[in-house]
Amino acid sequence: MSNSDIYLLTTLLVYTGVAMIASWGLDLQIGETNVLNFGFILFEAIGAYVTAILSLGPDTANGGVQQYVFGAALPFPVPWLVATAAGAVLGLFMGLLTLRRLRGDYEAVVMLVMALVAFYAVSADTSLLNGSEGLSLIPAPFQGLVGGGPNTSMTYRWVYVAVVAFVCLLAFFVVRRITSAPLGRALRAVRENDAVAMSLGKDAVRLRILVQVVGGALGALAGAMLVQWVGAWAPGSWTYPETFTLFAAIIVGGRANASGVALGAIIVPGIILEGVIFLPSIGPSYLTPALQWVLIGVLIIGFMWFRPQGIIPERRRRFPALALPGGVEQSGAIQLVDVEPRRS
Amino acid sequence: MSQFIAATGFGIVNAGIFALAAVGFTLQFSVTNVLNIGFGAIMSLAAFVAYDLNVVVGANIWLALAIAAVASGVLSVLINRGIIQPFLKRGTSFFGMVVITIALDLIVEYAVEAIWGPTFLHYNVAAGTPVTLGSLTFTHFQLVAIGISVVGMIGIHLLLKRTKLGKAMRATSCDARLSKVCGIRTSRIHDAGWFLSGTLAGVAGVILGLTLGTFSFTVGDQYLIVIIAATMLGGIGQAYGAMLGAVVIGLVTQWSSLVISGGYSEVVAFVILIAVLLVRPTGIISGVAADRNMAA
Repeated sequence: MSNSDIYLLTTLLVYTGVAMIASWGLDLQIGETNVLNFGFILFEAIGAYVTAILSLGPDTANGGVQQYVFGAALPFPVPWLVATAAGAVLGLFMGLLTLRRLRGDYEAVVMLVMALVAFYAVSADTSLLNGSEGLSLIPAPFQGLVGGGPNTSMTYRWVYVAVVAFVCLLAFFVVRRITSAPLGRALRAVRENDAVAMSLGKDAVRLRILVQVVGGALGALAGAMLVQWVGAWAPGSWTYPETFTLFAAIIVGGRANASGVALGAIIVPGIILEGVIFLPSIGPSYLTPALQWVLIGVLIIGFMWFRPQGIIPERRRRFPALALPGGVEQSGAIQLVDVEPRRS
Repeated sequence: MSQFIAATGFGIVNAGIFALAAVGFTLQFSVTNVLNIGFGAIMSLAAFVAYDLNVVVGANIWLALAIAAVASGVLSVLINRGIIQPFLKRGTSFFGMVVITIALDLIVEYAVEAIWGPTFLHYNVAAGTPVTLGSLTFTHFQLVAIGISVVGMIGIHLLLKRTKLGKAMRATSCDARLSKVCGIRTSRIHDAGWFLSGTLAGVAGVILGLTLGTFSFTVGDQYLIVIIAATMLGGIGQAYGAMLGAVVIGLVTQWSSLVISGGYSEVVAFVILIAVLLVRPTGIISGVAADRNMAA
């Protein structure tokens, strides 16, 4: 493989890994719990900005070409960890503000609007995060260990891919742990019917806020990994339609199934959005991105019609029947309870 | 003071455009119970169809507006018949429908980009002489925009309150099943709702293009969020609420630019929306939102 092929391939892999982690975070919300977070991209944004200001150093560095608050140069992986925590705190804030009172579409719209408020505020205020120009020259992590940076060393690019893959694996186990535990059952109970879940003693509001926190942390972690790979971050990197790329990944792959969501992330943000870098360009420069978005729209509608459960559907879960109270064993043929996941 | 008056003038023009679009958006939601995110893309499409008629074919801009508006209405009915109704018949959930209209929005908006390109266009119209009313100065197109909006609002009011179709639309919005039992052909009412909202989207899109001067394929979606904000502020599903919300959003966004940088006007609009929804989740006029259990 030539260096330029490695360059493109590693970029594709990093983007896919980042999208995968973000999609898992969003799927915990929309897939497992039915919290329709149309402003999810805000988590990626906060993760990226926190990582950027914690690795750039004070804003007088680089000749003061950009302005931002609280610059520090902390060693890897501190910025990623702080970014993840910041995503969780933001999730808690959004959850407390919206999920306690608002239901359904209002909640979705308010989250979308929060992402927009942040977008316009960050764009307008140049002293906060350098406004609509955004931050650049964000240093790549662990360059000293590898002996080179993303633009000089192909080894560095593979090491970064490996780190992303490792974090993906970690995130996968966290998500699977949550969804297969009793907690996951409670989340799905809230999704199917929150009144019933509450009548069984589950605090639906708390559970929804919880997925907002965990999903927010994952989204911010994805943003952190992305920004140190790209080296720049501006409001144009997190416009609200970006959230719908993740929606498409979840719908195509299969909601409420971590493997399905991973597959969706490989197909939609990976192959469809980033894979074209391997193809020769056709027509004017705007044509390919425009057609990509049209294709994503067609895929969403096509999957919603022909295979609403996605490529890898949610698992049909079987639970051993509970023993009746008073130590009486349940008799008869029914030993297992089938739980059918809800369709679309 | 003069700045305040100038801002009020701009605010009124914006309010007029927002009102046309917000009423279209909200009527469609109340009649068909689908939150149509694709509305913004229809606005963009209409602006570009009118551009082709006006600049390429050479038609008068008002004729172009009328044709583009009716074409948007027809397209909306086709979308309803071809995509929305089949999904509804299958029992797709409310949120499933939102996702589908988002997908439609992506398809239409980026098809417009693929066809017309990402450049900014402008209509082939003479600027006309500015008109001064008291201490307010309006361009020719701003006045026409306000005029069309006022006529449109009166028309919607008469349609809803004085015609059989309007009555049937209100009934369907209240309770679609009961309306059907009473002999209202609700599928036709749904078509009418989509046609009306599509037409209003078309009118709003072209007028937006006219008053902005130049526009690109994102013009509709850029304003869609403000339109949704106006709709929700007034109380979703309420035609009069949408008008009220449009006036509030139109004026406040302009006034705020007197106090803080103009870059924050959207922030102000959205913060107002969030605040209103948190205090009064059903919006200012609550009927539909309360009926459909959308806020606790």
